[in-house]
Amino acid sequence: MGLRALLLEHADARDLTQLAEYEAVGGYASLRKALGMERQAVLDELLAANVRGRGGAGFPMGRKASFLPKPDETTKPIYLVVNADESEPGTFKDRELMLRVPHTFVEGIVIAGYTIGASQAFVYVRGEYLTEYEVLVAALEEAREAGYVGPDVLGSGWGLTIVVHRGAGAYICGEETGLLESLEGSRGQPRTKPPFPAVSGLYASPTLINNVETLATVPKIVEMGGEAYARIGVENSAGTRVFSLSGNVVRGGNYELELGTTLRELIYDIGGGIPDGRELKAIIPGGSSVPILTAAEVDTPLDFDAMAEAGTMLGSGAVIVIDDRCCTVQLGLRVAQFYMHESCGKCTPCREGTRWMVQLLRKIEDGEATQGELDVLLDVCDRILGNCLCPLGDAAAMPIASYVAKFRDEHQRHIDEGGCPFGGESSLDGVVAPVDQHHAHMRGQIEVPTHA
Amino acid sequence: MSAAPATLYDRIQAVAAEYPERRSAILPALRLAQAEHGGWLPPEAFREVAEALEVTPAYCHAVASFYDMFHLEPVGRHMVEVCTNVSCALVGAQQILETFERELGVHAGETTPDGEVTLRTVECYGGCGWGTVVAVDHRYREPVRPEDVPGIVRELRHGA
Amino acid sequence: MSAPELVTVTVDDQELQVPKGQGMVETALAAGIEIPVFCYEPRLGPPVGACRMCLCEVEGLPKLQAACTLTAQDGLVLRTARTSEKAAEGQDAILEFILLNHPLDCPDCDKGGECPLQDLTFRFGPGSTRMQFPKRTFDKPIPISPLIALDRERCILCYRCTRFSETVAEDGQLVAVNRGAQSVIATFQDEPYRAHFSGNVLELCPVGALTSTTYRFRARPWEIQNVPTVCGLCPVGCNVWATTREGKVARILSRNHPDVHEGWLCDKGRFAHEHVRAPDRIRTPLLRVRRRGFEEVSEDDALDAAAEGLRAAEGSVVVAFSGAETVEQAAALARVARKALGSHSALLPDDWDPGLDAFRAPLSAIRDAEVCLVVGDDPVVERAPIVDLWLRSARRAGSEVVTLNPGGSVPVAPGTAAQVCASLREGGKRVPKELRATSERLREAKRVALVWSQDDETGGRHVGALANELHEGGGADVAVYVLPRAPNGRGVAAAWHAAGEGDAKPAEEGEIGALVVSGDEAASDPRVRELAGRARFVLTTAMFQSEVTAWSHVVLPGTSYLERDGTFVNLEGRPQRVRRAVAPPGPDELEWLSRLGERLGLDIAPWAAPGTAEQAELPPADEFAWSQPDPQVSAGKSAGPGLELVRFRPLFSGAAVERVPQLAFQRPAPEVELAWDDAQTRGIAAGETVAVSSNGTSRELRARLNRRLRTGVVRIADEHAEGFEDRVQVAKADA
Repeated sequence: MGLRALLLEHADARDLTQLAEYEAVGGYASLRKALGMERQAVLDELLAANVRGRGGAGFPMGRKASFLPKPDETTKPIYLVVNADESEPGTFKDRELMLRVPHTFVEGIVIAGYTIGASQAFVYVRGEYLTEYEVLVAALEEAREAGYVGPDVLGSGWGLTIVVHRGAGAYICGEETGLLESLEGSRGQPRTKPPFPAVSGLYASPTLINNVETLATVPKIVEMGGEAYARIGVENSAGTRVFSLSGNVVRGGNYELELGTTLRELIYDIGGGIPDGRELKAIIPGGSSVPILTAAEVDTPLDFDAMAEAGTMLGSGAVIVIDDRCCTVQLGLRVAQFYMHESCGKCTPCREGTRWMVQLLRKIEDGEATQGELDVLLDVCDRILGNCLCPLGDAAAMPIASYVAKFRDEHQRHIDEGGCPFGGESSLDGVVAPVDQHHAHMRGQIEVPTHA
Repeated sequence: MSAAPATLYDRIQAVAAEYPERRSAILPALRLAQAEHGGWLPPEAFREVAEALEVTPAYCHAVASFYDMFHLEPVGRHMVEVCTNVSCALVGAQQILETFERELGVHAGETTPDGEVTLRTVECYGGCGWGTVVAVDHRYREPVRPEDVPGIVRELRHGA
Repeated sequence: MSAPELVTVTVDDQELQVPKGQGMVETALAAGIEIPVFCYEPRLGPPVGACRMCLCEVEGLPKLQAACTLTAQDGLVLRTARTSEKAAEGQDAILEFILLNHPLDCPDCDKGGECPLQDLTFRFGPGSTRMQFPKRTFDKPIPISPLIALDRERCILCYRCTRFSETVAEDGQLVAVNRGAQSVIATFQDEPYRAHFSGNVLELCPVGALTSTTYRFRARPWEIQNVPTVCGLCPVGCNVWATTREGKVARILSRNHPDVHEGWLCDKGRFAHEHVRAPDRIRTPLLRVRRRGFEEVSEDDALDAAAEGLRAAEGSVVVAFSGAETVEQAAALARVARKALGSHSALLPDDWDPGLDAFRAPLSAIRDAEVCLVVGDDPVVERAPIVDLWLRSARRAGSEVVTLNPGGSVPVAPGTAAQVCASLREGGKRVPKELRATSERLREAKRVALVWSQDDETGGRHVGALANELHEGGGADVAVYVLPRAPNGRGVAAAWHAAGEGDAKPAEEGEIGALVVSGDEAASDPRVRELAGRARFVLTTAMFQSEVTAWSHVVLPGTSYLERDGTFVNLEGRPQRVRRAVAPPGPDELEWLSRLGERLGLDIAPWAAPGTAEQAELPPADEFAWSQPDPQVSAGKSAGPGLELVRFRPLFSGAAVERVPQLAFQRPAPEVELAWDDAQTRGIAAGETVAVSSNGTSRELRARLNRRLRTGVVRIADEHAEGFEDRVQVAKADA
């Protein structure tokens, strides 16, 4: 357990954005190997690797690919769509992969494309990731020139074109059907499922959608063989993942770990612990959408099953460390504001419920809520949960409900004491969320310093 | 052959040709139009994109208004975006924002009276391990500390 | 067609055998179980599952499911709120969310009493709210157009209206903007929602957010009566409810006939009813009196004068029909002319080749066609608007829709519809290059819909011959739709022909003994105006004054289709019952004819015999009886300098539309539609004012550029093309 570089292997020593450097460490050998195999054989390796999706939902990648019709079973084109719309708060690992090992990523796309018999792939890159987009496009250009991508990949007679498509700032486009809608030129509102994208996805054609990190794992699986890969990590959580460590921690950043490593190892041994002599208060282990863990749960291993047992999720692998200066009502408010801002507006409970949650949390934080309203807040979470069109509503309701459950006393004190017990000293005090931006002037006159 | 720079219409046609269905090019098309119109999308821009993609201006507006990176109001020549989501907020994003507000003399969501700089807060930009993340003209600066802010503002005001 | 496979599903413990794939909302409803819905509306395309009102429990699935998105699969076990506590809680939750910001202003909301949200809240709702915050408010009402008002705070964002705009009418004008809780329904820059079918969003809205400006605050649901009838304004014949209050038509709602119009109405059909109450209606018979103009006279005096004038013509009588008469009325008039007066000369708005009846099919069959071919210069949407929706629906369902006109998918030269049909019929090497792909597709297809939208005298014979070839030669199922000019053009022509033999057209020149002008459309026809000029006696029946009534000797007050009983035959050949929704100010046309017949020795019943069923079936197609296998092909229009003018009669025109001020914005803008190349060579930019001239007539019009319009052709609506000849000069207007 602990650090183990598979995806980021050699990335510290070499500039792997350069094709020659990547080839020097065996880059694109997996692609050659895959092209020498039957499509089904490659798929079998992915199934054997038992690799679960790295985007957040954790669905086994091989199984997802196996749901698609084979090229001879459909008259429609088969598409590969890459979800590079990383925007789960706390998550920045796909960005690192695109910046540092773009060729690994491209190689994974081409192998996956070959496996499902696609001839066109679309990479939906988060719009804000401008530098990452440029690095990726440059790598693709190199790969095209070298014949790894294009109408006839390495003389195999099979071709794959890759279009890099930039998003424009909407969290919901990270949800796969929202992404498809956006890619088709609509507002990125998720679709109801079924039909699943494997049957009717992009332009109503069979579509495989995978996350950046998931695809970047593919060359390694082909290189090692699925069974060997599956032996890394723990049962049901094979391989490594790039964890994004942030918040109140000394050394934030991305760390590739074998699955099963504990939060304590990541936060203290690797991340250097909590700065400024503060105490650990809580951990968000998988991006802001997942239920929170308390300091007492710091020994929970980072694997899918252990997290589920602790009542939370591995999610996107974003570990946010929270110290004792943070008011959890403010935390809830800020998280709720995010989901209110990002709710697409299509389904009723998410659109209306996230807004109501923000109103209630603001009132609790301001010390104006009644006891009943704290119960209403929990009930609103409960009434959003499981009733929405897509996972965003749940992603808002689950964390908020967990903050109340795990820090009930702190919430209660806001009501009993008629205000925030932190008295303006919380680390999140007064933070201006985008949904509040147009009210920002209500904070008063700005004093402009004389040197300006 | 053509020496004149390609028109917006022609550039949109070129992008649209990359997709199986032309409407897929609406985000790149709106991005091109926004660049052409000084960083925001006036009604005219929607009419131009609509003509090029054979959709209605209303449709273009509907799409653009869904995404945070399209601006439906005029913006400054420069854009400063401060992430105030949880990871950045835990390490002092609010202090960074307030420092920018003081240095620029505007609140979040506003543009300096000389039209130079728009300041706004944004949701997580994906630089959480190195907070506070600030995007200056769409390039990330990470981490930004309060003492870095006057330099950034000087750079924008006086061209570095 | 084979019978659909039956599957067994269980809804609230009831086991049901239903066709596989049938929607679960419909399945439950058929078993008497209501699943409440707001966003679900099958006519808008696949379900979207947005409002979540229909949450139900499905055995084996942990989460509640939106029943509207489920279809019947064998073994599906569904529990609604009636038997599942979880589903009941879910629906309760959704209603609480929906009502969170919905103002409970039901007492003064127009929707109150016929509001799905009000009804479902009553049946399924929580009964109280825990929302303690101020509800959202907006400026109100917002004019979506002169016809539609939006009370934004009432909107529950079910997206029915925007889905209609995007995926049914495909006008793309009414959209949702912003995201999440900020989402609102809007038009671009608050410009009016100007589209042929905009009014349908009023009926789609399940709350009082979109209301009709012409009905707002006019009536409560319990003070109105709804009369089932058929729209008489175009040859589609949409089934409608005429809502009446205190003897006046207050609004028109659709009455869904799934084969005719699927419940959609155009804005003319929905809003033009106000013309019935127009202040300038002719309400009393008028008699021309020397030097004093017209004098109001008694009904009997008018009829006596009419009988005398007609008798004095001694058989030299011409009858000019509008095509808006009922079949019964046309038959009565035909008998007066042919039996009593011995005249067989008529001006019919439409004629019909009886051979076409072999290819009769319901309009809904368009959607099932593999290939739809639309031939003719007249825009379908202006002539028979609903046909345009069927064609769009066909395209969405995967049909290939080929439009052959100067602005169509194959931009053929104007006036060449007959030639196009002839060359497609001949096939092979003689097909011009531009039609070759179409020709091949037509011959491969097993189901073809042919639409003829050209104004000529051939009654659709050319398209009939093509249909014959595809059917006989290729074995395809072919449906033919000839779009008449007039709402009952088909029925009136049939009634005229049935009343006698030896049809004659009016003589080209010379004096006429008497001219009978039947209705306002005939009265506004320039050909009729010309005939009136050389008639010794003119008898006109009309609702409104016109140049022709000014030429008349006797004018009898006419009525609207909303004031008559009788039968209309629509473009499919379907006879449909038109019902009197409100009483006319005096006798209707049939009664006038009955009383006139009395004076001429003819027995005519003053009422229409009880006729067809509430929603008529299409009569079975006749035995194959193709009468004219080789019609003559007329040449296209001649060449010459300038640009070739294609004019069209806009839907939003005519006496009724002109009398509804709220419809004024829908009338065609003073525009000339120019091909891209023609604009480029003249240095004309979109939106610029240009001078259009022809034969000494010149007019300034705004240029609209169309990249698809055939080079060398311009299009102008009739009302802006008056005085122009077939070729026009177009130039930049002087600055």
